[in-house]
Amino acid sequence: MLSDPLLRAWLWLIGLSLGSTAVSLWHWPPKMTALAGTVILTLAWLKARIILSRYLGLAAAPFWQRGFGISLAVFCALLLGLYLIPAFA
Amino acid sequence: MSETTVFDDLPGDLMIWVLIISELLVFGAGLAAFLAVRITDPAGFAAAQDMLSRTGAGINTAVLVTSGALAAWALLLRKSGRRGKARITLVAAAFLGVVFMVIKSLEYASKAAHGIAWDTHPFFTFYYLLTGFHAAHVVAGVVVLLLVAWKDAPANIEAGAAFWHMVDLVWVLLFPVIYLLR
Repeated sequence: MLSDPLLRAWLWLIGLSLGSTAVSLWHWPPKMTALAGTVILTLAWLKARIILSRYLGLAAAPFWQRGFGISLAVFCALLLGLYLIPAFA
Repeated sequence: MSETTVFDDLPGDLMIWVLIISELLVFGAGLAAFLAVRITDPAGFAAAQDMLSRTGAGINTAVLVTSGALAAWALLLRKSGRRGKARITLVAAAFLGVVFMVIKSLEYASKAAHGIAWDTHPFFTFYYLLTGFHAAHVVAGVVVLLLVAWKDAPANIEAGAAFWHMVDLVWVLLFPVIYLLR
């Protein structure tokens, strides 16, 4: 049953969602919150990639899968940059 | 002689992808603006965010991605000729959309009970704008899922499920930025 790509995608999404919530609920030392934010945004990028690949079927269209993956990575990097500015200001 | 283009590789109708990209750009701009305004008052944004329920939003994320999986399974079921099961699966996906909205309504009611409105702090202006706009898409998505469960041609289900996955996709980007980044 776990060979079903859709079931595996769903399990990954649940796991990554729980993981990012747990990272946020953890009491990080102030100096480590930037690292926690980086982990949370990386997990968001992974979740978005899974939805595009498996739910929306881009796994069967590698050109578009790569394009969306790169665009989302650039967008998440922009969000990360904006998020980190106060930490280094 | 017909020529194939790279657009032919996209699953489903091209127009649904135009919609998905448009929505991603709109919500993406909103999330970037949120984090840009946060630069001016990170402590105020953190204090406002602490008034949200991260656990409740985490549960809602699980509800929405499960609903998305059901919508994707419904398309596979319909394509394999199991029409009745596909319809039931779509109705189940729509039901989880309603569950998402119930949890979201409880969240909004809790904020209202604490006297928190859109103008309480810039954080809440973005919070209500972005989560409210997303919630409107959830309501539309529930209606779309029920419509394609009724008019269940495979192309209809594919388009309806794609809309629902777009709602999912927006949420997995919105959830960490609004609720989790401290």
